[in-house]
This record gives sequence, structure tokens and C-alpha cells, in this order.
Amino acid sequence: MPKDWLLMLIKGGECLSFLQLDCITYSYPGEEAIIKEISWQIARGEFHCLLGKSGCGKTTLLKLAAGLLPAAQGKVYLQGEAVVKPSPQAGFVFQAPTLLEWKTVLDNVLLPISLKRTPTSEDYRRAEDLLGLMGLPAHLRHYPTELSGGQQSRVAIARALIEKPAMLFLDEPFAALDAITREELQDDLLKLCQLQGITVLFITHDIAEALYLADQVAVMVEGQITFMARVDLAKPRHYTMRYGTYLNELGREVRQAISGGAS
Amino acid sequence: MKRLAGYPLIVLLLLLLTWEYFAATMSELVLPAPSVVALTLWEGLLSGYFVPHILRTSTEVFLGLVLGCSLGFVFGILMGEVEFFRRLFLPYLIASQAVPKLALAPLFILWFGFGMTSKVVITALICFFPLLENTITAVQYTDPQKLELFRVLGASRWQTLFRLKIPGGLPSIMAGFRVAVILAVVGAVVGEFIGGSEGLGALIIASQGMMDTPLMFAVLILLTILGMLLYQGVTLVEKCILQPYMRGKRQ
Repeated sequence: MPKDWLLMLIKGGECLSFLQLDCITYSYPGEEAIIKEISWQIARGEFHCLLGKSGCGKTTLLKLAAGLLPAAQGKVYLQGEAVVKPSPQAGFVFQAPTLLEWKTVLDNVLLPISLKRTPTSEDYRRAEDLLGLMGLPAHLRHYPTELSGGQQSRVAIARALIEKPAMLFLDEPFAALDAITREELQDDLLKLCQLQGITVLFITHDIAEALYLADQVAVMVEGQITFMARVDLAKPRHYTMRYGTYLNELGREVRQAISGGAS
Repeated sequence: MKRLAGYPLIVLLLLLLTWEYFAATMSELVLPAPSVVALTLWEGLLSGYFVPHILRTSTEVFLGLVLGCSLGFVFGILMGEVEFFRRLFLPYLIASQAVPKLALAPLFILWFGFGMTSKVVITALICFFPLLENTITAVQYTDPQKLELFRVLGASRWQTLFRLKIPGGLPSIMAGFRVAVILAVVGAVVGEFIGGSEGLGALIIASQGMMDTPLMFAVLILLTILGMLLYQGVTLVEKCILQPYMRGKRQ
């Protein structure tokens, strides 16, 4: 009995951070390390953004955190359990919507389920609800090629949410969208994640986007986290905050961190 | 576009008139007039003379297509998906590209006789390669992001093959099928040239022997119609299957 008690204590302690990266290092074969000893904790229900220039290793870190790549050194824990392969509790949204052209929007959203079992009528209802929340109730039976870029991104997000994930990994999902569509999607994403208490790791190269979305931002330069800051703004956020002094000043700090600290 | 629809018809009419004019100055053995060809065609169709030949060639084309395409598809998937098979067969695939397949026709007649079998084999062989190659390419070059998506979702190898690689490669596979259909008619006719007493190809050789040039033209027209019907059929199938891939954006 005392042993179990001890185990629970340890597990409970780890559960404080929902996702935990412990001193992660990674290098592609025959190359210098692209991720250098990164540690990071994300508490349950928080929205964290990782910022950095192209090629600084952001996507690699996301893949390590999601269990798509095995870390050379260090460990990743999701809810206290070591991550060795993509967890069924986690959803993933890629840079491109990556929808299957030969399936309808509804079937695309149901793909994660239909790969495991035949979707039930309840699954269908949930998919329809999600697409409704994402503002696409009229497009259930359409094919992805009939949708605009922003609508495709919405389908990709609905697909990532269909299995009720506790954790969501997003890799610059809005990079290819126009500014207004991007803002709409940011608001919808925030709303959904808050509604369902999802913990999020979001990667972007857009400072304003990161600050608007995040509870905490981190800056990555050459495989290392060089800057971390909390964003102390109330949620739900409003678009007027984008242009407020608080985010502007924080933005300046982040900008300096990205270009290497030199002001 | 609609306004232009009539022009090809006018061109055809002009062509036929010129042909008729020049044919009048020549022997029927060299260039029969379109009116004579049309009459031969009409009489042949009415009397049922062409029917067994058309059926024979169509059957050969159909069987050859089914056999060659299914084998090409299966081998294409094996070679595209399994590294071992690819390494094993690729050198032979490259070597076989250099062989003019139609030149093998006499050999097949020798092996399979003058009946339908040899023609079906020749047609199948010709249809095999375009489908094989396009299937290999389709299976091998699947969108890496979609592959990663399937990996994230924990899909098995079978699921990835049947629910991503094959449906995703369908446009490329269909392109191979389109080529195969056109080649299939060539295969069957050449097979009939070399040996056989039935079929549209054999009829061309026979008309040459009988110095019946109008008959030869009539058969050529029948072959053209057969090819066009097949091509239209494929286009129709393609339209149905590939509709979701092709649709343009709404905006």
C-alpha cells in the first residue's frame, strides 16, 4: 500500500503540467543538433505559442512533442505518461489542411474515427455539430476542392477535434490564409479550445497571432528557447486587444528576442 | 465555345467533298470515293457481314484490357508498396520497355495458336505496362503530408494503402488506363494482322488480298468508331470517378 501511495504522489506531481518536455535534444542524421536541450511545461487547459523564424526547428519540436519523432535525448510526458508514439488523446493540425479530396467534408472530419471503427450515428452527430461550430453547416456533403482555403482549414480543425482530444498540436495552420480570415479562425479556435478545456501547443511565425492567442509565448532561436513570457490578458479575447498598448509592447520584446536579443 | 461547335462538321464536309472529287479521277483500287465506302459499309452492316468481326475484335480488346489492366494494377501496387519486389523486378521492367511489344506478336501466335488466346495475350501485354508504371508512381509518390496525417491517426499499412495511396493515386492510375484503352485496339488489330481469320484486323488483310479497297476503308472506319467509343467510355468513367478531384474552387 505505501508503494501505491508513493506512485500516486509522483504521478499527481507530474500531472500538474499537462504536457512536459524534459531536456529534449534532437538531430537529423549526420547533422548538428536542431533541438538543443529544451524543457517546457504546459499546464492543463493552457494555450502556448511557440514563435520563431523559418528553419529554427519549431516544427521539429512540435513533432517531438506530439510523438511523431523520437527524441535523441530527454523525454516527453503527456499527463504523466511518456510519449513514444502519437497519442490518441492528441489532435494534430498541419500547415496545409491536408484533406482527402475523394471524401466529403463530413467523411474527412470522421476520418480519425473511421480508421478505428465504423462511425456511429452519434459520431455523425458530433461531426455535424463541430462543423456547425466551425461555421460550415451547409458544406457537409461537399468535397474539399469546393471549399475556400479558410473553409478547408476549418475542416482540418474539426477533424482534429472529432475524437475529443485533451491536447491539440497546431503547426502554423493559418499561415496561408488572408489576414481577416485568419483573425476569424483565431477567434473560433480560441472559443472552441476554451469551451472544451483543450490544452494547446501552437506554432507560428506571426508575433501578433501568437500574442493574441496565447497564455504563454516562447521564442525559439537556433534550436533553443531564448525567451518565454506570460500574456496577462483576460479571456475571451477581443479583436480590439490586438491593437492595445499591452500587446504592442510585449510584441516589441518578442521581436527583439527573435532577432537575438540585440536591440 | 458553342458557336464553334459547327465548324468541325463543316471541315468534315469539305474534306469529304475534296475526297470525292479526287477519287473520281483515280482508280477505285487506289482511292475509293467516300460514297462507295459508305455504300460498302452500309451493305456490310445490313447483311450482318461485319457483325462477327466486330464482336471478335471487341471481345479481344475487352478481355485483353481486363487481363492486362488488372495484372498491371496488382503488380504496380506490389512494386510500389514493397521495396523487395521493386528491387527484384525494376531491372526487368526497364529492359522490357526497350522491347517493341508488337514485335512479340508472331511469337505469341506460335505459342498460343491462331485463335483468340494469342490476340488477348498480345492486347493484355500492351495494356499491362502503362497501368503498371502509373500505379507504381501513384503508390510511391503519395502526398507526404497525407502520409504523416495517417501516421498521426495510427493507421495500419493496409489502411494507408487502401484508404490513402490507391484512392489518392486514382487520377494517375486512370491516366494509365486511358493510354491502355487506346493501345488495346492496336494490340488486337496487329494480332489479327499476323494470324487469324476473324476480326477487323483479319478483314483488312483479307480485303488487301481481294484487292477490295472500299472494304478496307469501311473496316478502318469501323475501327475508328470502336476506338472512339472506347475512349468516350473511359472519359465517362473518369468523369464519374474523378469528379471530386477535379472540381474547381467555388469562389
